[in-house]
Amino acid sequence: MAWIAACAAAQLPAQLLQLRITGLDGLASKASESVDITLDSNLLRMAGGFLAGTGNDAKDGKDASDIKGLIAGLKAITVRSYQFKETGQYRKEDLEPIRAQLRTPGWNKIISSQSKDETSEIYTRIEKGKVVGFAIIAAEPKELTVVAIEGSIDLNDLSKLKALGVPSIPVPDKKGKQQ
Amino acid sequence: MNLDEELRSALRREHPSPRFAERVVARAQASRAPKPAMPRFIWAVAIAAMLVIGFTSTYEYRQMKAERASRDAVIALRIASEKLNLARDKALRREN
Repeated sequence: MAWIAACAAAQLPAQLLQLRITGLDGLASKASESVDITLDSNLLRMAGGFLAGTGNDAKDGKDASDIKGLIAGLKAITVRSYQFKETGQYRKEDLEPIRAQLRTPGWNKIISSQSKDETSEIYTRIEKGKVVGFAIIAAEPKELTVVAIEGSIDLNDLSKLKALGVPSIPVPDKKGKQQ
Repeated sequence: MNLDEELRSALRREHPSPRFAERVVARAQASRAPKPAMPRFIWAVAIAAMLVIGFTSTYEYRQMKAERASRDAVIALRIASEKLNLARDKALRREN
């Protein structure tokens, strides 16, 4: 019994540090376009395996291997992105449950850019000198995006990803609800 | 002829006709119904087919799931990359 309690106590901090995107569920119905992606470690492993088998020519193979490299260290990815036709479809308070989690010890805000009606915030969680958690909140009048990534990720590699272009597998545009 | 003699005559040992034993064996072999080999073969083929279909379906389902997961992962990372770069650009612009 004591052993189980000790194991549970050891697991607790990690569970508490896992970012959960909550409070945004009602926005999908208001959005003109939405992306709702949740990938756990099993799905990421499957994705990595699939990407390893794609791309026959040198460039495609490199793209796929770069993305596979990024995915390799990840435990979970969650993305909620909503585009609205009109402003005022979401409230700043809708983001409070997420911000409250990001104010807990372990998370650090590394970039915060706020203008009149736009907010961009980047948070990281670092353990033993490595980024093991990453979160983005990007709020614009007609667009709201929240990204939460669990696991080891190199932000420089992630920022270069856009320049890689679309990998060898066909990727649909950000239209319609995913997943 | 009394009864004893009649019985003795009726039950007396008689030698079988020539090749009687061969004819009995031949008839016994001819009348033995051949064992149906087809049902076993059909069962084996059916089980093999079911296994192949099962494995193929599972493999295809896993492939579909993996393909969808990889698409989602790429979209998610692309969005993350885009928003990361936008936030960096905004922060840099503000500093300058």
